Amino acid sequence: MKQKFMSSIQIILLLPLTAMELTGQSYPGKPKIIRCRSLEKETFSCWWKPGSDGGLPTNYTLFYSKDSEEKIYECPDYRTSGPNSCYFNKNHTNPWTTYNITVTATNEIGSNSSDPQYVDVTSIVQPGSPVNLTLEAKTSASITYLWAKWSPPPLADASSNSHVYHYELRLKPEEKEEWQETIPVGMQTQYKVSRLNPGIRYVVQVRCMLDLGEWSEWSAEKHIQIPSEELPPEKPTITKCRSPEKETFTCWWKPGSDGGRPTNYTLLYSKEGEEQVYECPDYRTAGPNSCYFDKKHTSFWTIYNITVRATNEIGSNSSDPHYVDVTYIVQPDPPVNVTLELKKPMNRKPYLVLTWSPPPLADVRSGWLTLEYELRLKPEEGEEWETIFVGQQTQYKMFSLNPGKKYIVQIHCKPDHHGSWSEWSSENYIQIPNDFRVKDMIVWIIVGVLSSLICLIMSWTMILKGYRMIAFILPPVPGPKIKGIDTHLLETGKSEELLSALGCHGFPPTSDCEELLIEYLEVEDSEDQQLMPSHSNGNPSKKGKTTPKETDSDSGRGSCDSPSLLSEKCRESRALPSTLQTQDVRDVQENKAVKRSWETECVASERKTLLSNSESTKSSTWPAAQLPDNQPPMFAYHSTVDARKITLITTNVNVAPVLVENEEKHQSRYSVTETVPGDMEEQGEMENLHSKTEETAVQVKQNRPNEKSPFLNGTLMDYVEVHKVKQDEEPAVLLKHKENSGKTENYTIPGTSKEYTKVSTVVDHNILVLMPDSRVQHTPMSQEPAKEASQNLQQGQAEKNMSYCLTAPSDCKRETSGSEYMDPSSFMPSFK
Amino acid sequence: MALARAAGQAGPGAALALLWLLVRAAAPPAVCAPGDSGYLRLSVADLFDRVIRHSGRIHSLSTALCAELENRFPARDNELGKPARRCPTAGMLTPNGKEYAQKIPREELTYVILKLLHAWKEPLSHFNQHMEHHQELPDDSLSKAKQISKMVHELETGIEKVTEKMQSMGIISNSLHGMASSEAAGFSSTNEANMMSDSDFIHCFKRDSNKVQCYLKILKCRIMPENSC
Repeated sequence: MKQKFMSSIQIILLLPLTAMELTGQSYPGKPKIIRCRSLEKETFSCWWKPGSDGGLPTNYTLFYSKDSEEKIYECPDYRTSGPNSCYFNKNHTNPWTTYNITVTATNEIGSNSSDPQYVDVTSIVQPGSPVNLTLEAKTSASITYLWAKWSPPPLADASSNSHVYHYELRLKPEEKEEWQETIPVGMQTQYKVSRLNPGIRYVVQVRCMLDLGEWSEWSAEKHIQIPSEELPPEKPTITKCRSPEKETFTCWWKPGSDGGRPTNYTLLYSKEGEEQVYECPDYRTAGPNSCYFDKKHTSFWTIYNITVRATNEIGSNSSDPHYVDVTYIVQPDPPVNVTLELKKPMNRKPYLVLTWSPPPLADVRSGWLTLEYELRLKPEEGEEWETIFVGQQTQYKMFSLNPGKKYIVQIHCKPDHHGSWSEWSSENYIQIPNDFRVKDMIVWIIVGVLSSLICLIMSWTMILKGYRMIAFILPPVPGPKIKGIDTHLLETGKSEELLSALGCHGFPPTSDCEELLIEYLEVEDSEDQQLMPSHSNGNPSKKGKTTPKETDSDSGRGSCDSPSLLSEKCRESRALPSTLQTQDVRDVQENKAVKRSWETECVASERKTLLSNSESTKSSTWPAAQLPDNQPPMFAYHSTVDARKITLITTNVNVAPVLVENEEKHQSRYSVTETVPGDMEEQGEMENLHSKTEETAVQVKQNRPNEKSPFLNGTLMDYVEVHKVKQDEEPAVLLKHKENSGKTENYTIPGTSKEYTKVSTVVDHNILVLMPDSRVQHTPMSQEPAKEASQNLQQGQAEKNMSYCLTAPSDCKRETSGSEYMDPSSFMPSFK
Repeated sequence: MALARAAGQAGPGAALALLWLLVRAAAPPAVCAPGDSGYLRLSVADLFDRVIRHSGRIHSLSTALCAELENRFPARDNELGKPARRCPTAGMLTPNGKEYAQKIPREELTYVILKLLHAWKEPLSHFNQHMEHHQELPDDSLSKAKQISKMVHELETGIEKVTEKMQSMGIISNSLHGMASSEAAGFSSTNEANMMSDSDFIHCFKRDSNKVQCYLKILKCRIMPENSC
């Protein structure tokens, strides 16, 4: 009958159900009875799990029937056992009956029933877990026991307390995974566990069971430390004593293992020189395991002997004594109020001003505590700190910080002379702004690079354009030509004649000619030194006042420079044939021997030839200017001078003959050679030869038939005129030839040239007459033989030495100074 | 040679300069009368700064010497805690805390400083003699000990001069000398000092040098609170 009823309902609901499914709503899903359980065999509860609710509020109803009856009952109590449960109290529980239980879910659309559950109360008994488990470790007769106590599980029905439970207990050491053993306890609610390992922590649980049914769940875990055997606590350790402000101090200690027993800590101290022991005045202020000594209890310059004693019921143990002189344990707090300020003064780089305050506890004003500070900083991304000791001041200025970086700054402090550094203050950050000048710098760098590029390009084009450009800017400078050298004369050692012929005026070497204002240099004949005037006519008035060094370089340079002095005149004679130049170069080779001898002579004539090569070079240019013929005088380079200089000198001296001819054409007998200051400097490579711009040029002119010195044989004798040129500092000798200009082409031929190696006479009015020597022969000499010869000769007569002393300037100096002809002092009076 | 080396370590320049200044400040009557403007040019604050620096130097030296000795002769047990130690000045009542040092009259504090220094002069010279016989001691330590002894004399002179000046300016009363004469004889510390180990002795001195510096600072800040205090 019931089934018919149910099926009819289903048929009725079938149509709307299908319609409802379309809208997502349906009758509820099937609930499921999950468990029925009796805690104490007198009542029981059943729990179910709802099915899907079909999207609508659902009602659950529990129906049950007993096997002895046909009647269906509804659940008497839905509440007691919680949601989705039904509690059957004593009245509804019959231990001898099997219950058929169904749960029906119902909503607006329909209902659904669970599968029926058949329940026998006696088979579903499982009590709750025991509660209030307490553990206690007890020691009696030197054996440690563990006492566990608990209560039976609570029941909903407080009135039924007559149940008898069986209990089980299990335990394990805390660190183990496996439970050691399960101990049946019986019906007692306490248990004593023996045979425990001392000093280990155990975990304990209990459970219970009725005389039928299942064991309950295990109770909550309880832990206990089994005290080690009868041992006092371990020694505590005093970790630190610190005074933050040099007025009070605190000590901390670390307890040792207390063995699971309650332990008391006592700090005891005595002061130096006192027998009495005091206890810590204040355990609380500084936190656990510490002792605070207030001002009253803090003395300075005395040693505290501090111990900490740990005590429990078994015994006590004291720490090692800690000795403290409060003066030396001062560690202040970190400085406070750290401020960073970026100052930007006008026209200057910004700088950082740091200010801070001493820690608030520290009384620095009384003088009792003096703090010193140290700060450290680093860029935010940096690794290493830069530490700066500041001293006692509370501010610091930092310059030279990298712009555009963020810095971290920290400060700490320390009492002076004693105590220790505080902790670092908290980090302070400052962003250094970008320096705008950096941009300017970049601009300038770009400008510089561009300009240097332009310079490079210009110089490149100049190099490409080549010689013409240089020639345009720096025209070649003429040099005098030396017609020939009487090597024979050199060999025979008649140096005085040679010298006079050359007019090596470098000696005595002088330079300072600034005050030389006379137009012409007077060459006078001396009674006993007839042949010498030309030696000294370059330096009349300077000897007395110049230093040897200056003298030296100038005298040498002066006369040697004479070719270049003529550069201006050289310009006049633009029509310098290029063949001439090349020929000159060739002549350098051909006439090597010749020029060597000349320059040797010249150097020898200089009293104080400088030792350095460059100076020698200067001096060796001497004879080029003096040679009284058209021979190319460009050999005036020292053997050690490099080739570059050779060519320069060559170009320089090339012009000299032209000049000579030029002047001859103009019939100017006493031409004044002027040197343009700076002219030489334009020829950069010649600079070292012409550092002085004021030079004296001495022109040696060839004699002419209509010369005013009547006693000379005009056709045979050339003469040398020594001109002193106003404003020109260094002397030069210009050679004048009487031959016509056509001879210029021939000057390279040594045989045809004439040497004026003898000074025949000196006429008044500045005219030195040189006589060509008939013995002149050009014997090409290589450099090496010359050297050897000079060395050989050095051992010989002084005269010869002088003529070959090129290779040994220092010797030359010494030996010439001994020569009567070379003594500058002997010449002095005659020129004054 | 050894002295020079030690002096090099101790910064002889600073010490000598300070000494010179002290002497110059201390012995002006030879050049100018007391009350002369030249004499007064050095303010009391300057003088205080000098003696404070000087005492700081002494303290640094004694700290270094103490460390050297303790390194050389490590104590059997904890060095600090030897109950036997009794410093030569242990019997002297000195302020042992800030409040005490701030409370006692200036004259008394000045007197305590002088008394402390005075009490150390003799033990220090004894100590120096003793050190010289100590063959295994490095020259460095010896010269440090000598330097300390010398500087203590200088410091005492300097502080006496400051005191005189303060008295002449009325900053402190003149009752000082009476105190000094009555109690100064009371210390015969040489026996005790001889019983001590070297490092104990110098440790005691180190402490007292720190005391002196601290008292000087307190005194200065009490007299001239505006002056960098």
